[in-house]
This record gives sequence, structure tokens and C-alpha cells, in this order.
Amino acid sequence: MTGMDILLVEPDIVLAETLRRAVNGAGHRVRIARTAQMAVEAVDTAVPELIILELQMVSHSGIEFLYELRSYHDWQDIPVVILSHVPPGEFSGSWQLLREELGVRAYHYKSRTSLKKLLGVVNQFVVVS
Amino acid sequence: MKQQRPAVLSEQLLLSVAEQLKVPLLQIARQAELGRLTPSEPVDLRQIQTTADMAVRLLDNYLFGARLALEDDYQLTLEPVSLSSVLYDTGQQLDATAKLYGVDLRLSLGGKFGPVLANRQGLQSALVSLGYALIEALPNLSPRRPTLQLAAHRCRYGLVAGIYSEVEQLTTEALRQGRKLYGHSRQPLATLTHTSGAGVFVADAILQAMDSQLKVSRHHKLYGLGTVLRSNPQLALV
Repeated sequence: MTGMDILLVEPDIVLAETLRRAVNGAGHRVRIARTAQMAVEAVDTAVPELIILELQMVSHSGIEFLYELRSYHDWQDIPVVILSHVPPGEFSGSWQLLREELGVRAYHYKSRTSLKKLLGVVNQFVVVS
Repeated sequence: MKQQRPAVLSEQLLLSVAEQLKVPLLQIARQAELGRLTPSEPVDLRQIQTTADMAVRLLDNYLFGARLALEDDYQLTLEPVSLSSVLYDTGQQLDATAKLYGVDLRLSLGGKFGPVLANRQGLQSALVSLGYALIEALPNLSPRRPTLQLAAHRCRYGLVAGIYSEVEQLTTEALRQGRKLYGHSRQPLATLTHTSGAGVFVADAILQAMDSQLKVSRHHKLYGLGTVLRSNPQLALV
């Protein structure tokens, strides 16, 4: 199994570092972006193989970032997994939009997603790719 | 006339505090799990302690305001308070969290200030809560290593005690919107912080019990939030 290039979009610097260490330990390369702007710049620098995204960010939300990301032809197929403080129930009405228009592959509620579970999610994409 | 319910007893503030406390609890849970999953990654116990301390202090400050509001006379006793000593102690309480978030914390007490009329515990609880909220927010607002300044200065109405940074997002409009949205939005101060910003609203509620208010303030070229306190020359003799 070869590690993937993963972009972790996480505004909390303490949590971001913990997640980075966990995913890094599983053999993947992780870059961190704390804002939507930093995330766009990071994708522009090097296209990641997977984006793990928090929706609740300062100034521009994760949803705004997704619209920006998908507006570029070259970035339309980058798989995105949401890992957010926002409970998925709040998106039950717009799940189709997230999945079909914004290319979200999975939605995980941060409070209930252990590192072990997150690594399982990440590794699914290694098998697929 | 119907008596208005104190802000600190509002369901909105409780929601905001509950939402905020998820962040440190989650940080601790994931750090502990990381240590368990990967024995080669040592758990940073000091970091866990800082995170837990921050959460407990925020909760304590909220409870301080809430207990006070449940008493018949919802008013904090005002007493002569040394602003320099309150700011110094606030800095001490915020120091470890500031280091954790990579924020330089500075104390600026240019000038000699006499005592002000305030409630020492109330003022300190408000400033500490506010400081936590800003420390957590700053790294995402500043491209460079952010600086937070605990400062006091004179103004037309008395003395201002506040917390300042170079971040321009600390505006009257952001605070007004935040007060309007908190309890209804997960992120009422969306231009300022990715969290519920509970520390700002806890500070606001405690200051109200001191007949004071949280306001947007400038200090030299910095932007910040602070409160105006009444100074009384007679108190200087106390």
C-alpha cells in the first residue's frame, strides 16, 4: 500500500496536529490548511488525492470552499470526505447537493469519529485508487 | 413591568458554552486515542492539561455568572480594583493556552492607573473568557505569528481594560451581528472564529452584571474588545 497525499482542512490547530500525526502514522502524507483560502492555495500548489474537510471555518465555510473547488475543471474529481462539528442531520435535506454537485464521498460527525474510524475511511480511498 | 432575564441565564449562552466545550473535550479524546493507537507517538500530557484547564476555566466563568444571576440581587458588588494586577493575573491564566496556540501574549500597562470601580473576580473572569476566545481565533486570522496584548488605557469615560491584536476583523459590526446570532447560529462570530465564540458572550454577560459592557476598542494601532471602567480619584487614597 502506498501512502496518499491528503489535504486536511481543519481550523483548530491542536486538533489538526493530532489528526495529522494519526494519518501520517498510517503512511500518508498530510498537509494542513486552516481556512478555505489556505485550502484553495494548497490545492493549487499540489493536487491532493483526498481532502478531509471541516465545514465550520472562519470567514468562508467548507461549503463555499467546495463550490470554489468544483468550479475548476481540474479539481472536480478530487474526493472529499467531510469531518465536521456540524451534525449530518442538519444536511439531510441537501445530501443530494453535497454528493452529486459538490462531490462529497462521505460525511462524518467529528464528535463520533474516532481516529481509528477516520483511518478506516482514509484507507478505503487507497483501495479504490 | 416584566423583569428582563439576565443574559447569563439565557438558553442561547448555555448552547454556546456547550458547543464550545466540545472542542477541548474532542482535542483531549483524540490525543489520548493517538497515544493508545501509536505507542511511538508519546502523549503530550502538558498539552492535555492545558486544554482541560482551559475548558474548566471557561465552565467556571460561565457558572460564576449563572450562579450570580440566580441570586435575588443580580449585581456584582463593586470595589476598588487594581487594573494592573487584574491584567497581570489574566495574563498568567492565559499564558499556557497562548503558547499552545502559538500566540505571543503581551502585557501593556503604559502609564500609572489608579484603582477602578469593578468586581475583581467578575472582571478577571470576563477577561480570561474573552482571552481564550481570541487566542483560539487568532491563528486563523493572521498570516504571521499572532500577538495578543492585554492592555489598559484612559478614555473620556474612565479607563479601558481590553485585549488587543492586529486583527482588523474585531469590529463593532462583527460584535453586533454576533450578539444577534448567538444561540441561533453555530458560529455567530463567523468572520472572527470558527467556534461558537462562547468566551466572548460569557464575558459580555459577566460585564453586564457589573453594569458594564463589552465594547470594540482600539489601543494604539491595535483592534480589540474591552470594557470601560469608572475611575475615581478618591479611590486612589483607599
